[in-house]
Amino acid sequence: MDLLKTKQQISSYIIDSQEEEIKRISLELHEGVGQNLYSILTGLQFVESSTAEPHMKNYLREMSLLIKKTIQEIRLLSVELHPPALTTLGLLPAMKSYINCYTSTFGIIVEIESEGPERLIPEKNSIAVFRVCQEALVNIAKYADTSHVKMNFIWTENELTITIHDFGKGFQPEEQNDSMRLSGLAAMKERMLLIGGQCRISSKLGEGTSIEISLPLK
Amino acid sequence: MSEIKELQAVRKVCDQLKETLACDFVGLAIQNQAGPDVRWHYASGNLNDKYKRITVRFGKGVAGKIISSGTPMMITHFPQGIVGKVTDYPIMLAEKLVSTYAVPLFFNAVPKGVLLVGKREKYIFSAQEQEKVFKSSLELEQMLKEHIL
Repeated sequence: MDLLKTKQQISSYIIDSQEEEIKRISLELHEGVGQNLYSILTGLQFVESSTAEPHMKNYLREMSLLIKKTIQEIRLLSVELHPPALTTLGLLPAMKSYINCYTSTFGIIVEIESEGPERLIPEKNSIAVFRVCQEALVNIAKYADTSHVKMNFIWTENELTITIHDFGKGFQPEEQNDSMRLSGLAAMKERMLLIGGQCRISSKLGEGTSIEISLPLK
Repeated sequence: MSEIKELQAVRKVCDQLKETLACDFVGLAIQNQAGPDVRWHYASGNLNDKYKRITVRFGKGVAGKIISSGTPMMITHFPQGIVGKVTDYPIMLAEKLVSTYAVPLFFNAVPKGVLLVGKREKYIFSAQEQEKVFKSSLELEQMLKEHIL
């Protein structure tokens, strides 16, 4: 029993350290690299406005566009690594923000509903729940063959329950031999267990896959 | 820009290319007039409408890499041998493509679009087939140059 607890503590420590490092890189990209690129863009736009030569103006416009694309990519990369809304606004707004990015990346529409007042969750727990949802959605994009996902948040005084249903092709876990996929599913369950929650996965061929995540709030 | 898919001539080039190469999918991605976003404006042989909602990430996936590098790209057996993650290739996932060949579309000497052909099986596009895709891309550049800033 003690050995299990020690192993769980080690896993938690590794995950927390990784999350801290990811957050640092994300912030550095957003506040450092992103801000510097923005300054370069402003400078280029100033030079463009004060140049009369059409050829040079056009060249500077293209350079500005390239910088804009790079800023956009840096911002997306930073948000992908660590969503700032998670710390500032909470789990639900962070999830909604991620879903916007998810739909424009994979073309899959995610319908999100929330019942009950959103409760404050410690950052360590909310990042774990966010990562499990993120893994579930990425798996859907990879394997489910679907255009529509439904996500439900139910907030009660004692518990948060999130269900994700993909209406996709489904799978039979016992016949699944993609080791990466199985490890991913096991990691989702383990990550929830480490914060005292649970993750249940059920799937039916032709009907889709459902994931239920629950987290005690007291 | 949204009316690109309405242009008969553009549709004809894409549909003909799909028929000539006997491929499963042809897609045309173009940079939006406002802002740096690149989106799929027309597709032939698509399995669903996901392509309409996909915004191409700069430097990622097939289209993103072509726009950032300005050079053609071929994938013969997705996801084997790809650079980056499977999820960096959303059009391959959305359309279940296994092989693809794609070329850039240049406007004012800058890559601002992508013409992509794909099959849902492993395949190596021959030099002749690559040449056909290239010729179609030149036709599309001519047709679309007035629509691109």
